Amino acid sequence: MTAPAASFRSSPRVAIEPALLPWCALIALTALCLVLKTDFPWLVTFPKEWTLPLAAGVNAVTDAVVTVVQPAFRALSAALEAPMRGARLVLVWLPWPAVMLAVAALALKSSGIRLAVFALLALTYILLAGYWPQSMSTLSLVLLAVPISTVLGFALGVLGHTRPGLRPVLLGALDLMQTVPAFAYLIPLLLLFGFGPVVGLIASAIYATPPMVRNTLLGLDRVPSDISEAGLMSGCTRRQQFWHVEVPTALPQILVGFNQTTMAALSMVIVAAIIGGFEDIGWEVLSSMRKAEFGQSILSGLVIALLAILIDRLTIGFAKARPAGPTAAMTWMTDRRLAIVLALAAALAIAIRLLWPNETLLPATGLRMQVGGINQWLLGLVRDCAWFFDGLRDGVLYCLLLPLRIGISGAAVPAIWGFTLSPTANATYAVAVLLACALLLHRFNWRPALALLVAGTLLYTGFLGFPWPVFILGIALLAFQVAGLRLALFAVAGFLLILVNGLWGALVQSLYLCTLAVLLCLVIGGALGVWAAYSERVSRILKPVCDALQTMPQFVFLIPALMFFKVGEFTALIAIMLYAIVPPIRYVEHGLRHVRADVVEAVEQMGATPVQTLFQAKLPLALPVVMLGLNQTIMAALSMLAIAALVGTRDLGQAVYVALGKADAGMGLIAGLSIAFLAILADRLIQAAVAGRATT
Amino acid sequence: MKRTNVLKGAGIGLALLLAANTQGRTAELGAKDEPIKLAMLEWTGAHVSTHIAGQLLEKIGYKVEYVTAGNFPQFSGLADGSLSASVEIWLNNVGDIYPKVLAEKKIEDIGKLDLETREGWIYPKFMEKVCPGLPDWSALTKPECVQALSTPETAPNGRFLDYPADWGSRAATILADNSMPYTAVPAGSEGALVAELESAEAAKSPLVMMFWGPHYALAENDVGWIKMPPCKVQSNEHCITPPDVDKIVWSGFGAKWPAALAFLKAFKMDATEQQKMMLAVDKDGKDLDAVVKEWVDKNEAVWKPWVDATKG
Repeated sequence: MTAPAASFRSSPRVAIEPALLPWCALIALTALCLVLKTDFPWLVTFPKEWTLPLAAGVNAVTDAVVTVVQPAFRALSAALEAPMRGARLVLVWLPWPAVMLAVAALALKSSGIRLAVFALLALTYILLAGYWPQSMSTLSLVLLAVPISTVLGFALGVLGHTRPGLRPVLLGALDLMQTVPAFAYLIPLLLLFGFGPVVGLIASAIYATPPMVRNTLLGLDRVPSDISEAGLMSGCTRRQQFWHVEVPTALPQILVGFNQTTMAALSMVIVAAIIGGFEDIGWEVLSSMRKAEFGQSILSGLVIALLAILIDRLTIGFAKARPAGPTAAMTWMTDRRLAIVLALAAALAIAIRLLWPNETLLPATGLRMQVGGINQWLLGLVRDCAWFFDGLRDGVLYCLLLPLRIGISGAAVPAIWGFTLSPTANATYAVAVLLACALLLHRFNWRPALALLVAGTLLYTGFLGFPWPVFILGIALLAFQVAGLRLALFAVAGFLLILVNGLWGALVQSLYLCTLAVLLCLVIGGALGVWAAYSERVSRILKPVCDALQTMPQFVFLIPALMFFKVGEFTALIAIMLYAIVPPIRYVEHGLRHVRADVVEAVEQMGATPVQTLFQAKLPLALPVVMLGLNQTIMAALSMLAIAALVGTRDLGQAVYVALGKADAGMGLIAGLSIAFLAILADRLIQAAVAGRATT
Repeated sequence: MKRTNVLKGAGIGLALLLAANTQGRTAELGAKDEPIKLAMLEWTGAHVSTHIAGQLLEKIGYKVEYVTAGNFPQFSGLADGSLSASVEIWLNNVGDIYPKVLAEKKIEDIGKLDLETREGWIYPKFMEKVCPGLPDWSALTKPECVQALSTPETAPNGRFLDYPADWGSRAATILADNSMPYTAVPAGSEGALVAELESAEAAKSPLVMMFWGPHYALAENDVGWIKMPPCKVQSNEHCITPPDVDKIVWSGFGAKWPAALAFLKAFKMDATEQQKMMLAVDKDGKDLDAVVKEWVDKNEAVWKPWVDATKG
């Protein structure tokens, strides 16, 4: 990793590389645009008259298509509705003691006594909190979405494996299914399938299928050739070869896909609840968010988190063999005993319903009616610590958000910073940036120098004041040099689409919010990850916190953030960061803990201080893992845009919401695709960069 | 010949009489074994109205099912009959989908709920010390008031908390009409509006915002309503008028459940009563069904005429 830097350091004179030339041209263009921007304002704000009514076109097409295909989809919807209703009726009918018995037995079989105890505690909590029937409704949605996604995902995975030609299309579709916010396609789904829980089911299935496809592909691709050859030599037909040799070998990976699919389906219940149609736990979370009832939203959000953790551990337990071998409890719970217990549970259910046909057996009022106190406590905190929260918000706004949005040039006015920049100050800034660039050029190579120059310019003009032609060309050039012509063309096409749809403003808002969120997450989350890698105790504390941040519906965190920081961009930033901070913590910790011990020892032997070991040996070695974490952070931040819109932003997420409100399928899809485009572009860039580093 | 004619005439007369009689006595119940699906929207006020309508429909002899529905998605459901009726539609917040399905005659507006509503700009009571002269709007234009409401994001203007962007905004237009130095900041969601109001009350931080009633947040927080400036143009964009709240049914409703339609047309809701029940449910943690049942048991005088509407 350090080799290229070292070679540059040894040669004091830097010859101009061919890769640098286009950047020089771009710098000249930037300067030109910035000089001309007062005379030609279209360089900065894309004029409305130039936009094309693409959304209207999309709407016309969808309307036409929908009227043709609607009957078929409505029939499918009706066909799905019956099993869904059935599953829900059965689950709600089952008395809770029977459910607990069955789940505990499964948990015992899956991973032993600890999981069984956890399952019992989690279910007891759901019962006492007063969300039992709603949780059963949610489970019925998951129970139906998961088989659909699993079968579909497996079939698509096999297709991708056997027909490599189809793979690029398939992978592109998977990317879209995972990155377009579900809010964006709710309207077309509503039109196609009609109102009702089936829409939520379909949305869940769409989002939950890709992990299954990816893992099936991965599993089948990784079947060692000697195993398949052994199958061939023993005279398998193609079909036998597939079902009896390849699938069993790939099974562990496929089961991992099943686990991820289940989690993804569960994470969609809130979106399903936006439509309504049946009373589930997602609906409870949304209602409490609407009432700004923090206590209730925590209680109901915790139900989702517990269900997620329980289902995750259950399926993982069945999917992966324990490295230490099965525990005593797991071996005790043989298949036969499991079957007996499940039959007992069914008998218990029937007995209870026959003996007490009119008893719900549920507590009359759950905990949720007694949690008003939590809101009072929260408001007390708002009252007592207002100075702190206001100070924090204003500090970040003045020092980070505003300079990034409107730039130093825009923020240095009496109304905001209280002073204007004199020409000398402007010149000093320019000279300082250039000097720093020169220093970097001298010490390292032109890349960090260029990065600093871009950052310095952006900081001066602000994201909103940066000319869009330069922005698009710059990204395209970067994509070209890192990943090649195809990605560059993809970037240009995507940005042009956003531009002509009049979404440039929203895009810039999204970009600057996400950029800042990702940077802050990397710094704060990275630091926490390093700390966790060094301290067992911190690691133990952070793990459940990360679990909670990832599995709790993000809506839950919006209420306290709103109360502390009010509607505005800072609150949106906090909301995004709360979700996006998990990957850097996890990946940095994981990366550092798995650095090759011999290398670290060697460095320590050479007398490096702990700080030197960390920054010059461990972090560079962990870089591939950290880059993976960066990728995940960006994805998480982008996926939060649609939710952050609920605290009042002006970004692409808000555009999706406004479209949802207006039932404007075209606008919603285009805004959703724009978010997906950003995610895919960032993902490809980082992947190419990592691959590039690995080859040099 | 003559005789048969007379007989025939008498027969026809009798038939007519009978027909007139049945029509005069009671509208047909219709498909009373198929449940009427009432939309349960997201706010407690609508839960109360819907459950009152539901319990009374059950008294008439119908089966009722309560189906949760999002405020915008419900129109897709009402349009194709997967929802039968929705009794509390705030016409100021129906998006673009409502006029569309109404024009396509897939849903039918069956009149007002007569819920006494209010909409306008509100402020927490303590603001009267910060901006002397409130509730008159001109107090907001005084420099010390603008200064108090100013935030980093809106400086030098004051901050005005507006409805979420997807609800459509008139506040920005009205602020501009009266050249008031304020920037309208869209709230994003109803929860955000409520959270701001509660935290402003707790921290005594200045706030002016768009709001509406009846709303349970108004029962808990002491707010004042701003006396609005005169409208520049008498139109929906430049004026705030109390929103209408209507009852909507699926277009096939009347043919399927005639008596239920007659009842729903007569059904009304009183804002004060609704607010009382909202508080009982939201704050005292009582069961919605029980609260509504208590009201129904006590107020037969109120709902008797609605049920009688099904009888000629």
